[in-house]
Amino acid sequence: MGERIEVTLTVNQRKRRAQVEPRLLLVDYLRHELGLKGTHVGCEQGACGACTVLLDGRTARSCLHFVAALDGAQIRTVEDVAPSPELLHPIQQAFHRQHALQCGYCTPGFVMTTLELLAGNPDPSQTAIRRALTNNLCRCTGYANIVKAVTAAGKALREGSQA
Amino acid sequence: MSARPARYVGQEILRREDDYLLRGEGRFVDDLPAPIGTLHLAFVLSPHAHARILSLDADAALALEGVVAVLSGADMAALVKPIVAEIEFPGYRRHGRQVIAKDEVRFVGEAVAVVAAECPYVAQDAAELVEVAYQQLPAVVRLEDATRPGQPQVHDEVPGNLYFEGRFATPGIDAAFAGAAHVIRERFRSGRVGGVPLEPRGCLAVPEHGDGMVFHSSTQVPHLLRTALAQYTGQPESSLRVLVPEVGGGFGTKAQIYPEEFVCVALARRFRRAVKWIQDRREELLTDIHARDHLYEVEAAVDDTGLVLGLRASVWTNGGAYSTLPFGCTLETTGGARMIVGPYGITQYAYEARAVATHTTPAGAYRGVAQPTCYMAIEGVMDRIARRLGLDPAEVRLRNMVPTASLPWTNVVGVRYDTGSFVESLRQAMAMIDYAGFRARQPADRLVDGKYRGIGICSFTEVSGTGAPGWRARGLVRLPGFDSGIVKVEPTGKVTAFVSHAHSGQGHYTTFAQVVADALGCELADVRIVEGDTAATPYGTNTFASRSAVTGGGAFIRAAGKVREKLRRIGAHMLEASVEDVVVQDGRVHIAGVPGHGLSFQQVAETAYAMNTATLPEGESFGLEDSDFYDPPLVTMANAAHIAQVAVDAEDGRVTIERYVVVHDCGRIINPMIVDGQIQGGVAQGIGEALMEEMVYDDSGQMLNASLLEYLLPTAADVPNYEIAHIESPSIDTVGGFKGVGEGGVIGAVPAVLNAVADALSRLDININTKPLRPSLLARLIREARARPG
Repeated sequence: MGERIEVTLTVNQRKRRAQVEPRLLLVDYLRHELGLKGTHVGCEQGACGACTVLLDGRTARSCLHFVAALDGAQIRTVEDVAPSPELLHPIQQAFHRQHALQCGYCTPGFVMTTLELLAGNPDPSQTAIRRALTNNLCRCTGYANIVKAVTAAGKALREGSQA
Repeated sequence: MSARPARYVGQEILRREDDYLLRGEGRFVDDLPAPIGTLHLAFVLSPHAHARILSLDADAALALEGVVAVLSGADMAALVKPIVAEIEFPGYRRHGRQVIAKDEVRFVGEAVAVVAAECPYVAQDAAELVEVAYQQLPAVVRLEDATRPGQPQVHDEVPGNLYFEGRFATPGIDAAFAGAAHVIRERFRSGRVGGVPLEPRGCLAVPEHGDGMVFHSSTQVPHLLRTALAQYTGQPESSLRVLVPEVGGGFGTKAQIYPEEFVCVALARRFRRAVKWIQDRREELLTDIHARDHLYEVEAAVDDTGLVLGLRASVWTNGGAYSTLPFGCTLETTGGARMIVGPYGITQYAYEARAVATHTTPAGAYRGVAQPTCYMAIEGVMDRIARRLGLDPAEVRLRNMVPTASLPWTNVVGVRYDTGSFVESLRQAMAMIDYAGFRARQPADRLVDGKYRGIGICSFTEVSGTGAPGWRARGLVRLPGFDSGIVKVEPTGKVTAFVSHAHSGQGHYTTFAQVVADALGCELADVRIVEGDTAATPYGTNTFASRSAVTGGGAFIRAAGKVREKLRRIGAHMLEASVEDVVVQDGRVHIAGVPGHGLSFQQVAETAYAMNTATLPEGESFGLEDSDFYDPPLVTMANAAHIAQVAVDAEDGRVTIERYVVVHDCGRIINPMIVDGQIQGGVAQGIGEALMEEMVYDDSGQMLNASLLEYLLPTAADVPNYEIAHIESPSIDTVGGFKGVGEGGVIGAVPAVLNAVADALSRLDININTKPLRPSLLARLIREARARPG
């Protein structure tokens, strides 16, 4: 146990103050201290991307970051993506309509990667989409429908409508 | 009653599962709230493939604050009986497995102790402090070495490391070879892979009042798991409830029953506290079942037209260190030997099949089981026949296939193909990819723009929906075969349907609702599916081997049919009409042809539940529910053709899949969107297996790549856009006409990709008879081939 470090960070637009063990991983903090269980652990080595969150607007592996080093950071997780309990975000809508998820374990990570991609490149080519999606592993879908969903989501966001 | 047209079956209905999963609200096993005071487990894993355990010192671990107990193999042996896979098959040798190794370890990753602590970080710290002294022993690792004289023995009960040996021969096999114009021989070697679901395994045992126990597990087989837990831990089966949360991919990996599950239940009983264990990725790669470590030695007797007159196969599978519940270590062996003839009308056949013991991770059921490898062999043979005789590989296949007009056909090992489209699916796939055009454009040296380009085919039959006779034929006496459903119209008219299955991404809440709504005659929105709860659902064999559409669908159709008849009887009574004049349609019970003259489900249900002033017909029982089981025939045979077009980089050996075509026939389709999703995901797994995935062991039995940084899964950049079409040949042997589709993608992709690479490199005299085809291997083979004179 030993020493604890105080950090202040913003998670899903809410300010959080925490006293943490130096070794506490961001993903464990999100999941087990804040109850944000939509961020999943797949490998704990940064290989699979299931734990992807946005850290100061960029995708990050929450299994590779210590909370103690994140003082002042802005974190966004999948729980902060849908606009309301009734509505899904256009990216989520597109994943639903294109059957871009099966077991759903990797899905929150893919949603976060897609958020980053489309924020930086609203009309990505298929090659750019596939390159961006190498950030995450999926074992169920074979990726084709995820590529379609990202394309559809980009279109919907550009047109300001639902996917 | 005449069959009504399907309203929902066959439609692309979007999934009910998606909304909560997309919001991050899916509740996987590690997401479940654990009771305060839950003990967290960490296992101490053997670093040696084969060693004697000399001593175990837990003092330092126990001294750590928060550690409650450290248990050795001997401690656990007092709580859990040795696990024995009860296979009854001539030539099989039984052996037991302690859930924690007691005296001897037999593979790297086998648990030698378990730590129970107040928090998971502390449990892992303590596991690292457990001091184990080992006497290292020589290990046998490779399949090829296992049965050689003088090798280390894995089990005393398994002399010569031969778990299983089986033989089969048709009477005319020798004559077929004696009279053949050509004999084609080849040896095919398949590298070892695993299912590698994105979610590792985990479980949570929660003691209830009295002797009750709720056990949450990321399993594909809740009912089989419950029976096994009761059998080996002594927890009464009737007070044990297995609950399956969301499961993050299974692929067969989670259809085995693992030691950690027994340990969790036993320790929850022992400490009367909740006990939780969540696997990490290294443990997943080291301890979840492996598969496909196979060797096929095949010879085919062939006439001048390319017709196969007879086939001999010697099938070897590496069973690893133990036989695992519920499939044992012979599933791949008997599968490869029995399925290899595929869609071909081969009438003379002989096999020798052997499963060997080695000091490696136990083998088990991974998506496709032995079909990717046995078709790697037979489809490789078809290509070699073509090359030897100067024929086109597609033409050789078409000449050997069972034509549709000959169906139903019983193959040489006694498996019936009731309906199918072997020839049609291959012809359609060839048309989709413009096979003739590709061949016409393909230069003799196969070299286009610095890349060798080739095309490869896999035509295959796909075992699905296996019934009790099918498991008995393979010695699996404790695998039931049937699944069950309960369909219940509630007093408000809503429908709850319970099924013995448990999903891990297949979309059961959506597809089963489609089946029930059609079979019952109600609105889709009114049906809710319940599964993965042994306290609510009836018994069954559960979800693996492409079963759920066939067995769950069949059970639901039968159960819903009974409820529909009851709706008609009560409705007719209420309407003062005869039963023959009443139909159930679109959520109403009405006079045939007069939808306005009828009753809602709720009105009929209120009578059934005695919630109004109406009376039941004479002799009718209360309630509005019924159950039924469905045990399909021996197997339900789907079929498909895959064609891959590839480019192999002449310099670095990298393979690019340029086009990929699938024509699949799974009989009557429930939801085309979900069927395509199964195929796409399977093809990606097959591409991974063909080109990159392999569990690599060194000679001492160390697995060298037990991380996702080194065990490579395909990414979005490694797979093509899939072009998929369907032929529907409804099964005439199963209720509902459904055939399975869960495994076809991976089964077809492995041979199709290998054959495409072989075709691309065929003019270099490179023999492709192994997988995976990593760039390093192909680059070397190309370099060596180019350096050869001539």
